[in-house]
Amino acid sequence: MATVLYQGGEASVDEARPEAGELWLTLPELSAATGWELKPEGVCKDEICVPVPAARQAALIRADLFNLTEFARMIEQSFAGDDTHGVWYFGPPGWEWKSRLASKDAPDFTLPDLAGTMHSLSELRGKKVFLLFWASW
Amino acid sequence: MVTVACDAKGPAAAEPFIAAARQEHPSLIDEKLLVAELYDVRNVPAAFWIDENGHMVRANDPIYAQRRNRETGEVTINHEYLDAVRDWVAKGSGSGYVMDEKRLDSRLPDLETDDMRAAAFFQLGTYLAQHGLPADAVAYFKRAHALRPQNWTYKRQAWSLGDIERDYSTTFQEAVKDPASGPFYPDLDLAKRST
Repeated sequence: MATVLYQGGEASVDEARPEAGELWLTLPELSAATGWELKPEGVCKDEICVPVPAARQAALIRADLFNLTEFARMIEQSFAGDDTHGVWYFGPPGWEWKSRLASKDAPDFTLPDLAGTMHSLSELRGKKVFLLFWASW
Repeated sequence: MVTVACDAKGPAAAEPFIAAARQEHPSLIDEKLLVAELYDVRNVPAAFWIDENGHMVRANDPIYAQRRNRETGEVTINHEYLDAVRDWVAKGSGSGYVMDEKRLDSRLPDLETDDMRAAAFFQLGTYLAQHGLPADAVAYFKRAHALRPQNWTYKRQAWSLGDIERDYSTTFQEAVKDPASGPFYPDLDLAKRST
């Protein structure tokens, strides 16, 4: 039983097994919690397929269970887990965070206002935008 | 203008400020601080200028439009910065306040693996604190602080979710003086580029 926080989403995985700091999921849980699927080409999501080298097969896949933390290491994705409460957070994969701001293109985002209405930065394309981050702290 | 409240206490914490400011622009709530992570907001306030093509032309300006002196009640308006903004609005890429790639690079350092590990610990701590487990969050916030001491967002957000002295054995004054943390804010570099 675990809560998987994956790239902004949250999923409960009932069959998941943490084991010595590793998180193993069933293949349906993997798909539901992360969007990744195991295919003959490798581990795939949207247009991306990550091939699994033969040497890493055993560490990654074992009797229909998938090691999400091992996969995270493969794709340079940072993660942090709390055993007591069974909560696991996974951040962006390496290709997303490396040199993220190098192009200086302002990353798009969608957030709610106080009324709950969603707004995206991309809606403002064509206008100059002054973007200010602040906090109550 | 778009403001983003990167605040784990969410709408409840942001609302009094938004209401008082009576803003007409979108005031958004980044309750998971994931947009703050996207822009690598290491302290607030942090202002970014984005041109019509979605390209950043200034980043991480630590500015207030106006400040109120807590003791005297006197309000100081940041005329110099506001004038810079007006200059950009009027002249666009012709404004001397727009930054070139090299200056922008210095304000947007590349992230390293340890930075992302810190981000993961911070996110885990934030989740636990937001789900009724603030005491359990502390250990993870501490790991984030240790991995990325220059990130004041991680510190200030963590302190606001607990008690800085009880949980972090420090005070604000001591924390600010810690050499490992680096400066509290980056410089506000309003030097005009030569056009």
